[in-house]
Amino acid sequence: MKHTHIDTSLIIESMIEPQSRVLDLGCGDGSLLSSLIARKRVEGTGVEISHDMVASCLAKGLCVFQADIDKGLSHWEDATFDYVILKSTLEVIHRPYELILEMLRVGRHALVTVSNFGYLANRIHTLLTGRMTPRIRAFSPWYETSVIRYVCMDEFFEALRRSGVRISEARYVTPFGSVSRKKPLFANLFVVEAVFLLTRTP
Amino acid sequence: MNPQGPVKTQILKVPRPFRLESGDTLEGLTIAYEAYGELSPSGDNAVLIEHALSGDAHAAFYHEGARKPGWWDPMIGPGKAFDTNRYFVVCSNVIGGCSGTTGPSSLNPATGRPYGLTFPPVTIRDMVEVQRLLLAHLGVKRLRCVAGGSMGGMQTMQLFADYPFFADSFVCIASTMRHSAQQIAFNEVGRRAIMADPRWNGGNYYGDVPPEGGLSVARMIGHITYLSERMMQEKFGRARKGKDHTVVFRPSFEVEHYLDYQGVSFVRRFDANSYLYITSAIDNFDLVSSISQVGRFRGEGRARGTARDAMKAKKGLVVAFTSDWLYPPSQSREIARFFSGLGVAVSYAEIATDHGHDAFLTDTEAQSRLVGNFLASLPA
Repeated sequence: MKHTHIDTSLIIESMIEPQSRVLDLGCGDGSLLSSLIARKRVEGTGVEISHDMVASCLAKGLCVFQADIDKGLSHWEDATFDYVILKSTLEVIHRPYELILEMLRVGRHALVTVSNFGYLANRIHTLLTGRMTPRIRAFSPWYETSVIRYVCMDEFFEALRRSGVRISEARYVTPFGSVSRKKPLFANLFVVEAVFLLTRTP
Repeated sequence: MNPQGPVKTQILKVPRPFRLESGDTLEGLTIAYEAYGELSPSGDNAVLIEHALSGDAHAAFYHEGARKPGWWDPMIGPGKAFDTNRYFVVCSNVIGGCSGTTGPSSLNPATGRPYGLTFPPVTIRDMVEVQRLLLAHLGVKRLRCVAGGSMGGMQTMQLFADYPFFADSFVCIASTMRHSAQQIAFNEVGRRAIMADPRWNGGNYYGDVPPEGGLSVARMIGHITYLSERMMQEKFGRARKGKDHTVVFRPSFEVEHYLDYQGVSFVRRFDANSYLYITSAIDNFDLVSSISQVGRFRGEGRARGTARDAMKAKKGLVVAFTSDWLYPPSQSREIARFFSGLGVAVSYAEIATDHGHDAFLTDTEAQSRLVGNFLASLPA
């Protein structure tokens, strides 16, 4: 079962208010931030652990902070940002639970992408080959991948329910590249990836 | 114009008396400086380079007959990070120094004798104000960037915070907004070593043998703090020099010879009183309290709001080195946080190196990439 690859960057972009203050955690070479600045005129800051990536961000004229987000976001004060983005990064975080709470401390909203390990194609791949789906490990072998978390949709919902964090908006990427705002039936089986706008429950 | 042949340190004589932060006035202030590249007709393509404790105006290129270039030569020149094809790069010796700009070893015009300890105390802000005089004289209307490492970073921050309308950006490397107790302590031991040398004679040694012993010990202590433990171990270990180690208390370990060499070569080019004045300026530096002083007589845009608006359009780059324990990364992160709080778009990068604090002079390739990328992306 092949699915059309959907770039969650565009989904994230559509969920962000223009001219807002954005912190992008694990911003990589800064391409998401650059397009948010260009198209949404946001005031953006990136956080990145890799020195080479930091250098690339600087070349793009971005404001970037070299740090390990697993060590917390203590550098930033409460409510500094409107959105704190965690795109394709949740899976490499050692303390994801604490991080999401930290994101909601420094920002009004958190935008988190979750790649669904429970997705049908992943299950079939694992069932038939007895091996992990390459996409889940970001296409790196087990001994090289930085991915340490394999998250299923349902498990993610459960964790949020316990944490006092509310999903105020969601975009579900389903097979063949469609994106829905409503949670599909059997989401744990049919969602490839999802983007959540999280807010702290008042 | 880029220098075709050797460069020369220039001297500017300031015709007016110069008032220091202490309230004292200096007559006949001279400023030693070098400038590379060409100033644009509108005077807005200048980059000011700030030197560290033992640096001088000779930042790049070669002096006549010299074997070594200026102290930051790999960073400054045509096509380099501070590209002299694009920028007019200026570097001057600090006030209180001993490499051409007026300091305690200069002649006091009132007495015809060297100032010695009658030289007024200097501050990091005084250093910056002297540079402002120089830049005005050179016709610089605006700085594209002000940059420096260590004490140079302190001047960088002071200038940027005092004159938010004057500089578009700053690059602050391996520095701090204020010295910790440990940093003050190391400097104090250096100063005591100088003052304990009988040749120091209350700062009155000009025309006689200077307190070479004391100054070289001060430099040796400094040098230990500039290197990382690991680098020292790798470079020297317990290796010894020479065969005869029977003479007691003569340097025999490699590391002893190295420090001895550093000390001896330093006394040849540095004035002991300058060391006292400049290290004191460094210890007394406290950026946050200095810019919140009431009744300051210098600086611009202090009125709340205007300075903040100016800061909004500015960019900063703060760089630290992983093995720098003299100015550790935590202090650089504090700098980034402070200027972010003022509204500046500040980036922070950490260079992984074993070279300790000295990395700002040695790891120029990594710094070039960061600074080059940063400057190239500045809006016009």
